[in-house]
Amino acid sequence: MAKLEAKNIVKYFEHDGQPLKALGGVDLVVEDGDFVCLVGPSGCGKSTFLRIAAGLQQPDGGQILLDNRPINSTGPDRILVFQEGALFPWLKVRDNVEFGLKIAGIPESERQEISNRYLEMMQLTKFANSYTYQLSTGMKQRIAIARALVMDPAVLLMDEPFAALDAQTRDLLLVEMQMIWQKTKKTIVFVTHNIPEAAILGNKVAVFTHRPSHIKKIISIDYKRPRLAEDEGLSKYQQEILSELRPEVKKVD
Amino acid sequence: MVNVTAKRIAFYVGIVLIWQALDAANLWADNVFPSPYEVGEDLWYGALDGTLWYGIGTSLWRLVAGLGIAIAGGIVLGIFMARVPTVNQTIGSIVLGLQSIPSVAWAPLAIVWFGLTDAGIIFVTVAGALFAVTINTYTGVKSINPDFIAAAQNMGARGTQLISRVLIPAAFPYMISGFKQGWAFAWRGVIGAELLFSFLGLGFLLNVGRQLNDVSQVIAMMLVIMLIGILIDGFIFKRLEDKVMSRWGLR
Ligand SMILES: Nc1ncnc2c1ncn2[C@@H]1O[C@H](COP(=O)(O)OP(=O)(O)OP(=O)(O)O)[C@@H](O)[C@H]1O
Ligand SMILES: [Mg+2]
Repeated sequence: MAKLEAKNIVKYFEHDGQPLKALGGVDLVVEDGDFVCLVGPSGCGKSTFLRIAAGLQQPDGGQILLDNRPINSTGPDRILVFQEGALFPWLKVRDNVEFGLKIAGIPESERQEISNRYLEMMQLTKFANSYTYQLSTGMKQRIAIARALVMDPAVLLMDEPFAALDAQTRDLLLVEMQMIWQKTKKTIVFVTHNIPEAAILGNKVAVFTHRPSHIKKIISIDYKRPRLAEDEGLSKYQQEILSELRPEVKKVD
Repeated sequence: MVNVTAKRIAFYVGIVLIWQALDAANLWADNVFPSPYEVGEDLWYGALDGTLWYGIGTSLWRLVAGLGIAIAGGIVLGIFMARVPTVNQTIGSIVLGLQSIPSVAWAPLAIVWFGLTDAGIIFVTVAGALFAVTINTYTGVKSINPDFIAAAQNMGARGTQLISRVLIPAAFPYMISGFKQGWAFAWRGVIGAELLFSFLGLGFLLNVGRQLNDVSQVIAMMLVIMLIGILIDGFIFKRLEDKVMSRWGLR
């Protein structure tokens, strides 16, 4: 069953007074429980697409459907994890994680119970009372993921959440992310420019073209879990993604 | 730290000594240039008969009332200016101009509208502080990382929840600067208005000193006004600022 569907999404921006067509008709069907990775050349509109899917930006054409119903505003059924995390520096880790629950008016005891669960899952329990600027980039990224998961969204949208991490932390989070997905059975759309990362995480990898972009190819990856960075068997998938991506990256304007 | 305190004490003692020496040299008549002793005596009698405390109390309550209204109003106005383009294009365009009016310049209007009352003096105080708070709040809200607002809206925050849980805390470091500036303007506004209204308070006592040709009282009141300024700045606003800066990870 299609959980999230993008139909012919078009988006223009203005650049030096000229209209710039960023998204040129993006079609994508994300099935319930899919883990879809989006890859594409820099500036092709992956972030823009996620923001539109989250309802934070309006497309100039096309439609986003959630459970076959068109959506045109933002809400906690699709939570976006920002590349820089966008954690609130004035709140402690726990209060960051509980933010959405507080907004939803959930009573304190219940809030704590939920946040405890995800703080533990993300190994943040010890830092629940710290402020976010006291923590490393990897921890911040985990807080951002915990803050999204507590909302129990129908779809989790993630914009290069691991881009700023060192290799070791990233490898750890790649395994954790797969376990979270298996445990929670969430539908996830995950943007990355890292091909091995896409092959490890996705059960599907969608390749964007250069601007004005659309999705040129969806590669299914059937491989055991949890997948590790050193798994040799993934390299043929990586080759396939790369061969689709390379001509797009070369189209420079 | 000890070193700084020692330097400061030496500096103030030095000033008093030079002042005493100038007085002893008898360059000016005593009713024009009083000695530190006479000024101290004036303060002492004022403290004993209660006029000093009553004056301080009156000025401080006017300050608190005026600054309180200015802070509340400035936050509301600043947020609306930052979030509603029409408000910014209309009211926003005159706020900078209003900010340039010295607060005492509002006094004649206040006298006409409110008479020689507390309300008139508080009006002058509000007019002095309101726009500094407004402008800083506006700048603060404008400089919020747009991802903070997007993330909050994505998690369901709207309207007053968005304002109280994201806009105000995110803009708070800027708003603190507004409060600091606002307080300084408000204090000048209170004293200036009291001089003109001649209706109780430290500014009034200062004026009485002048009318009686009692220069030592004039200087005594100026010292009290300055001392209160230093205390409020150091004990309230400096601390608040330090706390906010470290709490927000800006230091
Ligand atoms: N608010 C905006 N105003 C103007 N142009 C924009 C805006 N947001 C995005 N763009 C333009 O739209 C295009 C797509 O941007 P987007 O950030 O979605 O790309 P991306 O695929 O996420 O790139 P990257 O891989 O570098 O993160 C870019 O050319 C960008 O300059
Ligand atoms: Mg991007």
